Amino acid sequence: MKRAFSLFLSLTKNWLRSKSGVFFSILFPIMLLLIFSTVFGGQEAAEYTLHVQNDDLVDGNETELSEEFIEALDSSESLNVKEVDNITEDRQDRSFGSYRALRIEEGFHEQAKNKSIELRMKVIQNTTQYMDEQGEEINLDDFTAESAEIVLMLSEDDQAGPMVKGTVYGVINSFNSRMLGLEEGDTTVDITEESHKERGLHPVDYYLPGFIAAFIMSNGIIGVTSNISEYKRNGVLKRLTATPLKKRDWILANVGQQTVLAFGLTAVMILVAVLIFDAQAYPGPYAIGLIFMGAVAFCSVGIVLGGLIKDVEAASGAGNAIAFPMMFLSGAFIPIETMPDYLQTVARFLPLYYFHQGLREIMILQNPSEALLAYLIIGIFAMIFIVLAIKTTRWKDI
Amino acid sequence: MSRNIIEVNDLTKKYDELVAVDSISFDVKEGEIFSLVGPNGAGKTTTVEILECLRKPTSGNARVLGHDVKNEDEKIKKKIGVMPQDFNTFERLTAEENIKLMGDLYGSDNVKEIMRKVGVDKFKNKKFDDLSGGMKTKVGIGMTLISNADLLFLDEPTTGLDPHARRETWNLIKDLKKMGKTVFLTTHYMEEVEYLSDRAGILINGKIEVIDSIENLIEEHGGGIKVKVLEDGEAVDIINDRADEVLRGEDTWTGIFDNKKEARQALIKLFQLDAKVEVEEAGMDEVFLRLTGGKIDEGGELV
Ligand SMILES: Nc1ncnc2c1ncn2[C@@H]1O[C@H](COP(=O)(O)OP(=O)(O)OP(=O)(O)O)[C@@H](O)[C@H]1O
Ligand SMILES: [Mg+2]
Repeated sequence: MKRAFSLFLSLTKNWLRSKSGVFFSILFPIMLLLIFSTVFGGQEAAEYTLHVQNDDLVDGNETELSEEFIEALDSSESLNVKEVDNITEDRQDRSFGSYRALRIEEGFHEQAKNKSIELRMKVIQNTTQYMDEQGEEINLDDFTAESAEIVLMLSEDDQAGPMVKGTVYGVINSFNSRMLGLEEGDTTVDITEESHKERGLHPVDYYLPGFIAAFIMSNGIIGVTSNISEYKRNGVLKRLTATPLKKRDWILANVGQQTVLAFGLTAVMILVAVLIFDAQAYPGPYAIGLIFMGAVAFCSVGIVLGGLIKDVEAASGAGNAIAFPMMFLSGAFIPIETMPDYLQTVARFLPLYYFHQGLREIMILQNPSEALLAYLIIGIFAMIFIVLAIKTTRWKDI
Repeated sequence: MSRNIIEVNDLTKKYDELVAVDSISFDVKEGEIFSLVGPNGAGKTTTVEILECLRKPTSGNARVLGHDVKNEDEKIKKKIGVMPQDFNTFERLTAEENIKLMGDLYGSDNVKEIMRKVGVDKFKNKKFDDLSGGMKTKVGIGMTLISNADLLFLDEPTTGLDPHARRETWNLIKDLKKMGKTVFLTTHYMEEVEYLSDRAGILINGKIEVIDSIENLIEEHGGGIKVKVLEDGEAVDIINDRADEVLRGEDTWTGIFDNKKEARQALIKLFQLDAKVEVEEAGMDEVFLRLTGGKIDEGGELV
């Protein structure tokens, strides 16, 4: 154990002093995170999707006024209306991007109409009262009506919330004056605001666990593979095998180094994402556990590849050939929902898919129970490759 | 005599069809500097690394410090110090950090003392990558020495070093012997064999041609007088005509005379010509030449 620890320190120091090593393992991932979160983070701000559930139906058809109202919302510059059958269900299907919704309550058409009548009557009454001061009193029957109801649902910390709200109020105003001919200040529609607890998630919240997982993977499969084959080529490994160091110490030291690197990378990535993009990450014990297992698993793959492939170029080529397709196909960078079906099937065969999904459930959505499959798959994967690493690492005749 | 610290019996190593080591047998005695000398590809490294438990023998057996190399790796590795051929270590660790790592692996902490002994303390904070060849060799020997082992293997420790660094390394190896270490050395420099070792074996094509103490080797297979002519012309003809064997250097011709009388007569002729000559007693070069009919050049090739 002491030998493994001492070797671990040496491996780590030797790595830390390598500029290209540190660049590709830590700085490069951060640069990509910055680029992705900035470039793809900006897109959402142009237009906000508002999910609308229209409950004001007659014989299954949308009433005239509710339909007009929806159209008015949609034609506003900053809103993009998406009609859904059921907001609650729809919301559960998506985890990312703030969910913004509006429900048009039953009776919208009727009430809006009646309310407008009431308001117009009032106008007339005011006029008659003014006339009354000079002559006889004209008495009109009191006509009162309920306001039409809509419910606007925004998440508590949706940064675009106030702006969406403002737009909706604006649309109501013009709806009142244009459609119902009311004067400014009068309204037929009551807005109930509901804020849901669901946190507003930004693109960075998707990329963060994706990038952490992807680069722990590539540090193992690309980095460890080429490090080990390089140590084999330049004789450092032979120097070590000629000491009382045991094979398991060597494997332990490498796995230890990758684990520390994985935690370091995670910490720095989270820090950058939180400080610059206001990301919401909660790295608790479950996340630490999964990151540990991932680091062990992918480092072991690297030990196996580096141990099996003699030529340094071939080894790093093999690492790249495995790691890069896996990065993109697993949906670590682009949600797999946007990919063709057959690629989605491919993704589900990749350990990285479970790794980043699991990490996202735990760290971003705070749903560790949703990550059980990830734990299981990464755990089994780690065990298989640790055994393979022990079997394929040669301590003699290297 | 002192006891055998290494015993090799009928040891053979094949790489597929290639027989790299061909049923060799020899012993190494406690406290001596033993050299295995031979050209490139002779099987030196293969032999040494079998003894270090880094390669499996195909057949035969070998015992190191009483332990079987085939199944007592752990015991052997704890008790030996090793400097592999073209030795390398963590490039971005300093000399001291590399030696300290070895200390940790062997469970010893006399880093300072070792650094002083091998002369590393002057550049202990330099990264290994930034060291000269001679400095690297010192670090390598330090890393070997910190095992506190009594038996050290040095596989071609001076190959590629400049003459000054080679001298320094030789002195260091002599010091190792003074510390009571047994040193197993491989080399293809005859001068080095002669200067350093107590006993030597000549290995060619995986077979040991001869093995004995340096004195015996020279007495039996060397002897005679070496006359080296440093210029072309008539002097060379004299050497060619009279010497028993002639070794060609770049622009020197060395005649080896078994018979002192013959040598004296040749020298008289040469002096009459006023030729530039050097006279030496024949050493390991001639032993090797006589036994193999060739010589090993600076690059280690048999010519
Ligand atoms: N791992 C290996 N696989 C196959 N052949 C090998 C291997 N190692 C050595 N050989 C071959 O075995 C023979 C002996 O090699 P070895 O390295 O033992 O020679 P050496 O005397 O140490 O040479 P040098 O002076 O060049 O170091 C050579 O022909 C070499 O090509
Ligand atoms: Mg060799």
